[in-house]
Amino acid sequence: MGSGLSRFRHTRGFDIVKPLSIVTLIVIMLPLILLPLASIFIFGTASGLDTFMAALMAPEAIFALKLSIVTSFWATVFNVVFGLFAAYVLSKYDFWGRNAVIVTISLPTAIPTAVAGFALLLLWGPQGTLGRLLDPDGGQIMFTAYAIILANIFVTFPLAFGVIMPVFETMSHSLEEASATMGATRWQTFWHVTLPSLRGAIVGGALLTFARAVGEFGSTILVSGNLASRTQTAPLYIFAKFNEGQVEAANAIAIVLALFSFAIFSILFFARDWLEAD
Amino acid sequence: MDYDIHVTPMDIGKAAVTVSGLSKSFGAATVLENVSFSVDEDEIVVLLGASGSGKTTILRIIAGLETADSGLVILHGRNVTSQPARLRGTGVIFQNYALFPKMTVEDNIGYGLRLRRRKKSEVKKAVDDLIELVHLGDHRKKFASQLSGGQQQRVAIARALAYKPEVLLFDEPFGALDAQIRTTLRREIRGLLKQINVPSIFITHDQEEALELGDRIAVLNAGRLEQIGTPFEVYNHPQTEHVATFLGSANLLDGKMLDGNFVAGDVSLTVEDEVTYNDGEDVKMVFRPEDVFLRRPENLTQKYQRFVDGIVEEVTFVGAFERVTVAVNLPGKDTIIVSRPKTETAAFPLVAGQAVPIGLVRFRIIKPRAR
Repeated sequence: MGSGLSRFRHTRGFDIVKPLSIVTLIVIMLPLILLPLASIFIFGTASGLDTFMAALMAPEAIFALKLSIVTSFWATVFNVVFGLFAAYVLSKYDFWGRNAVIVTISLPTAIPTAVAGFALLLLWGPQGTLGRLLDPDGGQIMFTAYAIILANIFVTFPLAFGVIMPVFETMSHSLEEASATMGATRWQTFWHVTLPSLRGAIVGGALLTFARAVGEFGSTILVSGNLASRTQTAPLYIFAKFNEGQVEAANAIAIVLALFSFAIFSILFFARDWLEAD
Repeated sequence: MDYDIHVTPMDIGKAAVTVSGLSKSFGAATVLENVSFSVDEDEIVVLLGASGSGKTTILRIIAGLETADSGLVILHGRNVTSQPARLRGTGVIFQNYALFPKMTVEDNIGYGLRLRRRKKSEVKKAVDDLIELVHLGDHRKKFASQLSGGQQQRVAIARALAYKPEVLLFDEPFGALDAQIRTTLRREIRGLLKQINVPSIFITHDQEEALELGDRIAVLNAGRLEQIGTPFEVYNHPQTEHVATFLGSANLLDGKMLDGNFVAGDVSLTVEDEVTYNDGEDVKMVFRPEDVFLRRPENLTQKYQRFVDGIVEEVTFVGAFERVTVAVNLPGKDTIIVSRPKTETAAFPLVAGQAVPIGLVRFRIIKPRAR
């Protein structure tokens, strides 16, 4: 039955396809993923640590990093709390239009971020449907940090929900029933029984949301105004500095963002067992 | 609304649990139809029925996890019908035990007391006592995922006992365990319940389990309570055809009552019953496979009535006893099932084709139920 090749493989215990396919895999990944990332670090450290530190410590750079972290933090808080609430309601109650709600929550995944930013501008901008109702002197939302938070909320809306909802759905209903028969109110059951079981999903969803929000560019550049030291987030800073020809300045922040992403990815990857442990 | 007249205020006073006139429909499907029974203090009642008989619904209504369309739930004289589950104080042992996965054994057991805002020292004392009661001393810091099924079940029981429940409600507690552990475990649990004297309701579809666990068995069929009584009563004096066939196997024969005798074709058996029958009344006669004798009644100390003659059709060895199928010529009946203990099979071996006299040492008359 066996062809010459397969007999060869069995008798010699060597499969030439295995090393070939692994090498092919790495060769494809190298120029697409690994080399671009490596070049950030190679270029950023090429002109010495002092240059790197100076670029990093520039007031505009520090402001941009801080703004990214703060706006991403509040977007994360909102989306985790909302995602938890939405998952609770949608897993507990069946109602007319339930699927429409789920689709709507997930919609931002499929919307280009530039479109999201543009849509927010149309709504909240000085001439926008709601924006024109706001005080033109000082009461505006667009081109402030709040606009960045709004944009972050929009583009990361489905992430926390998407992680929490499946855990809710697989959670045994009898846990909550047991808690109720033992004398717990709904709130006590949620606090003592439901929430601890969601710990891993909440942490995971928050990290994912935060990581995504810190890197957000497309919607932020439209709604923030990109004003240095006022509404310029870290990704916008990289873009601006690169356009001005200050490649070292852009590169320093790029390294910080890349390391930050590695850190979050490692937590999600390696701490998964801890997060999901019973 | 009329409730079952068989449940009197006196019963309610002394019973731990009384359900009266429970009815429940899901859409067009009737799940429960006017179910009433009581559980006394220190008593174990088993609700026995096939799936879809409504037994789980009864349990959930008592616990407050489901509402009945009509009827009352009374716990120790307190009408809890309209109260939510958390105010009823029942202890439910779920089929999957429903231990809180992020709490240790001792935290699970203390949960009910912590909800009741008891002092820390009091909770610790109660938890220590319960852990000792259910022999889980080595496992108190463990999580549910680190325990065997039997251990999880003991945690679930201890957790419910902690807050002195009105009644323990067991939802098919042995369903998830394998056959050998089931038997040991149900003896253990019966022993434990008898030691602590907490009224309990079990639900099961397993007749052997019901006979072994229950002080009384309530047999349910399609949402109706067919009979409630001690295992002896329910097994030996079944009141309905369903009870007779669901608990153990039974031979059934249609006939009429005539002058105190059961008559079917050429058969006539003297009925010694306290019940009075009308002449010509249609009834069913039920007898267990072990109540049949396939030989002449010499040296037989039991009361024996000659039934019919038959021909052995098949002899099957089924372990502790032998099952014999006997061909008979009766109206609406061509075979009966007989089981014979080893002493009989050794003394009177049978082979297929052999003609045998058939006699009964015990039988029951069942009046068809007016629905």
